[in-house]
Amino acid sequence: MLALINRILDWFKSLFWKEEMELTLVGLQFSGKTTFVNVIASGNFTEDMIPTVGFNMRRITKGNVTIKVWDIGGQPRFRSMWERYCRGVNAIVYMVDAADTDKMEASRNELHSLLDKPQLAGIPVLVLGNKRDIPGALDETGLIDRMNLSSIQDREICCYSISCKEKDNIDITLQWLINHSKSSH
Amino acid sequence: MGSFRRDKDDDDEGSTSLYQNLEKTSVLQETRTFNETPVNARKCIQILTKILYLINQGEQLVSREATECFFAMTKLFQSKDIVLRRMVYLGIKELSSIAEDVIIVTSSLTKDMTGKEDLYRAAAIRALCSITDNTMLQAVERYMKQCIVDKNGAVSCAALVSSYKLAGQAGDVVKRWANEAQEALNNDNVMVQYHALGLLYYIRKNDRLAVSKLVNKLSRNSLKSPYALCMLIRISCKLIEEENLSGEELSDFPMFQFVESCLRHKSEMVIYEAAHAIVNFKNTPSRVLSPAFSILQLFCSSPKATLRFAAVRTLNKVAMTHPAAVTTCNLDLEGLITDSNRSVATLAITTLLKTGAESSVERLMKQISSFVAEISDEFKVVVVQAICSLCTKYPRKHTVLMSFLSGMLREEGGLEYKTSIVDTIITIIEENTESKESGLSHLCEFIEDCEHTSLAVRILHLLGKEGPYSNNPSKYIRFIYNRVILENPIVRSAAVSALGQFGASCPTLLGNILVLLNRCQMDPDDEVRDRATYYLHILQTNKMELYKRYIIDRNTSSLILLEKALSDYLNGNFNDKFDLAIVPKAAVVKVETKDEAMIVSNNAVRPTKITREEVSAAKVMQIPGIKELGPLHKTCPTTQLTESETEYTVQCVKHIFESHVVFQFDCLNTLPDVILENVRVEITPPEEFEIKGIIPCQKLPYNELGSCFVILKFPEDVLHSAATFGATLRFTVIDCDPTTGEPDSDVGYSDEYMLEDFEISVADLILKTKKSNFNAIFDEANTEEWVEAEDTFALSTVSTIQEAVNSILKFLGLGPSQNTETVAEGTHTHTLLCSGTFKNGADILLKAKLALADGVTMHLTVKTTEPDVADLVISAIG
Repeated sequence: MLALINRILDWFKSLFWKEEMELTLVGLQFSGKTTFVNVIASGNFTEDMIPTVGFNMRRITKGNVTIKVWDIGGQPRFRSMWERYCRGVNAIVYMVDAADTDKMEASRNELHSLLDKPQLAGIPVLVLGNKRDIPGALDETGLIDRMNLSSIQDREICCYSISCKEKDNIDITLQWLINHSKSSH
Repeated sequence: MGSFRRDKDDDDEGSTSLYQNLEKTSVLQETRTFNETPVNARKCIQILTKILYLINQGEQLVSREATECFFAMTKLFQSKDIVLRRMVYLGIKELSSIAEDVIIVTSSLTKDMTGKEDLYRAAAIRALCSITDNTMLQAVERYMKQCIVDKNGAVSCAALVSSYKLAGQAGDVVKRWANEAQEALNNDNVMVQYHALGLLYYIRKNDRLAVSKLVNKLSRNSLKSPYALCMLIRISCKLIEEENLSGEELSDFPMFQFVESCLRHKSEMVIYEAAHAIVNFKNTPSRVLSPAFSILQLFCSSPKATLRFAAVRTLNKVAMTHPAAVTTCNLDLEGLITDSNRSVATLAITTLLKTGAESSVERLMKQISSFVAEISDEFKVVVVQAICSLCTKYPRKHTVLMSFLSGMLREEGGLEYKTSIVDTIITIIEENTESKESGLSHLCEFIEDCEHTSLAVRILHLLGKEGPYSNNPSKYIRFIYNRVILENPIVRSAAVSALGQFGASCPTLLGNILVLLNRCQMDPDDEVRDRATYYLHILQTNKMELYKRYIIDRNTSSLILLEKALSDYLNGNFNDKFDLAIVPKAAVVKVETKDEAMIVSNNAVRPTKITREEVSAAKVMQIPGIKELGPLHKTCPTTQLTESETEYTVQCVKHIFESHVVFQFDCLNTLPDVILENVRVEITPPEEFEIKGIIPCQKLPYNELGSCFVILKFPEDVLHSAATFGATLRFTVIDCDPTTGEPDSDVGYSDEYMLEDFEISVADLILKTKKSNFNAIFDEANTEEWVEAEDTFALSTVSTIQEAVNSILKFLGLGPSQNTETVAEGTHTHTLLCSGTFKNGADILLKAKLALADGVTMHLTVKTTEPDVADLVISAIG
């Protein structure tokens, strides 16, 4: 009985304190952006995804927070369009393939040139190093170093090492995101 | 007129319309709303509607504006509102061609098109195909295939129609969807069947065998959809036309039997289509013709206006080819003269005009002039065409018709309508010398108040050509000079040219013309001044041969090649002077109108202006050393030297120079597993010819067109210029991997391939010209430099004068003048006037008097500046 009352109470709460947030997910191709959206939306991990041509728009509800995710394709032809979708969002999530050290430099350059755009000043950034399950993948400190994240001083920036496959650290990532929804500002 | 009507409609609506006085910039400002969260669907729909309205009103967005708007629109994908989403699809479609980076929505659209919401799917497919370029097509191919065979009719239709559109730019990919289209053909939905057939046909269009297989199969298991059946009838017609069968063979031809059986279908649409097809065939046997005409007759009295219209339109079209059969419907057509539908009435009257007796012309003209002001331009053109054919039929009626035409010319009307009237008047003038004076004066009156520059220029040119030979040339001068004072620069320069013509052809007027041209030198426009100076200087020399060469008979170079030659010259070093002589002369090309629209109405495909001969002429000019041969005289049409489905196909293009001929052999290797090297054609010429050079094609990979050349010198004796040549294709074969095209080994073996013999005919040596005042020129050609040859022939192989005329023109390659290439039906004598230029620049004028009596007898008079050429021309007939 108590449980039922609690649920009704929750429902009422969610009606009045429903929170919404918008975030844009970018990063080089094959770093696991669409996979990450699938994992936080439904918990399903699929190994072989087709490359995103353009963008996917997804709405994910976690508790009383609705997250709108713009998941933008990472192929070179789409990179010039990242900025358009990053304007005015609550947070930018930048996905890095931590196991692919060859592309690390390209990834770093793309991130820095994106964050240099004046339109995107002050928007919090979360850098995710995906694929930590693969041996040889960089951890947080390695990423911060290789991605030169310490040079970014003008905004809030955070870095996690995650694995979509093992569902490692997905929970702290979500927590970070929810903390950055509108009401927490 | 159109704009006036629209204004009126707007007034009726009142000023409540939301979309009045929209401004582009403010609407584009509003698109910022798209970025707001949450999305206000109602407001966004309204803004999108405004944008679509603006674009459809002809407002142009620049790329930056469109891109901004497009990306703002993509933000609306977060809304779940169905109406809004569908508006977004429309927006994507409209902006896809202007905005940049439109492929950004690919993923979202593929999701919608494969998703559960049926309302999204069809529209998403259409939007997707409008943003997809060739590189992205591979990525969506799988989804397109699925959608073509989708059980939902709307989805399948959208996928088929979109594939059809894509096929234009990415034919190879769409070809792979043929199996899916074949499956869609079995769908029960009438539209799906129709579109599937359309796509299948498009894919196989170039493969005759596959198309006839398709038709044979489908004509047996009767399609359900009347639309698809109509399409099938049209495809069959095209195939039947290509067979070129005689009447008897036709009625046994299975496809024709299928079309015939469609006359008994239950759908009116199919019955009409079949009847329309049957009456339009060239050789329909009368046994089949009469039921088709009775069907059209029946439709004439149908209560449905569409059927009446369709029937009378078809009758109108075939009135000239089957006059007797159309006459049987005359009674029904008479009934339609007063039809409440003006279009039906117009067509009925014009049909009657075409088939009726001479006596009824006046009555019908009166009837039609009572409502000619009320019908649309399109139908006025039909009326004008009917009058045009009347003039050919009853030359004596030209005064009535001419005054009717000039009346029409004075009324309001669009360019197309006015053009058709002017065309008709010009045709009458050309065919009927009596009407020349009155026709020219009607045209003069017309240009006094003519808003269409192109027409004014044409009429001025005609006045320049015809005016000097009329009874009273001076009366045209005033009309022409008025143009110089009143019109825009283009018309003014045309008028100056016309004045120049008068000056050159009428010595009596020369003084006055010089004064007028002198005044034109003060014109503010460069072109007008240049022309005036040009004519003035030539006319002041008082030398007839200069007049003739630079004013009256100016040879025009092919403009496209001239442009190319000039730009090549500008890119080169300027050591040599530019030589105009290397640019080939423009041949008089008759524009053939093809009725491709019957099957596929594809407005986008416009015939290219550059002719195929000009393309290969440009190619041949790039051969090293070719310039030493002098200017190119003529490029002959292509001849096939192989059957069309052999291992190697070879076509020959002959380029004629003054004393040389260059054979261009276009070779195609159709074997995927070999590469040919050192490809050349060895020819065995008659001994009088001398081989000057052979230029082989170094390498000929699979499915690529390569050219090799042979240069020959003509014999000194002109009479031996026409000859037959044997030819052999020689080459080195190297085997290669069919998939990669990599050669298996370096060494090959030589091989040869026999080609068919080909010839240089007399017609190949002569370039067609068109003289507008043939008789005057012919009569003047009696000076010393001209030679004349005469002979009389009995032509046993031809049975009508028209056939004789056609074969003379074909054998001699001369261009007919003054419409003498068409012989009026039922006449027993005819004079053919034609002219051309021989390869050495000699003018050829030919007058052939033909008479019909147990076969055709012909008296030829040839005038030319070279005695040998005259003999050659005469011998070509004998």
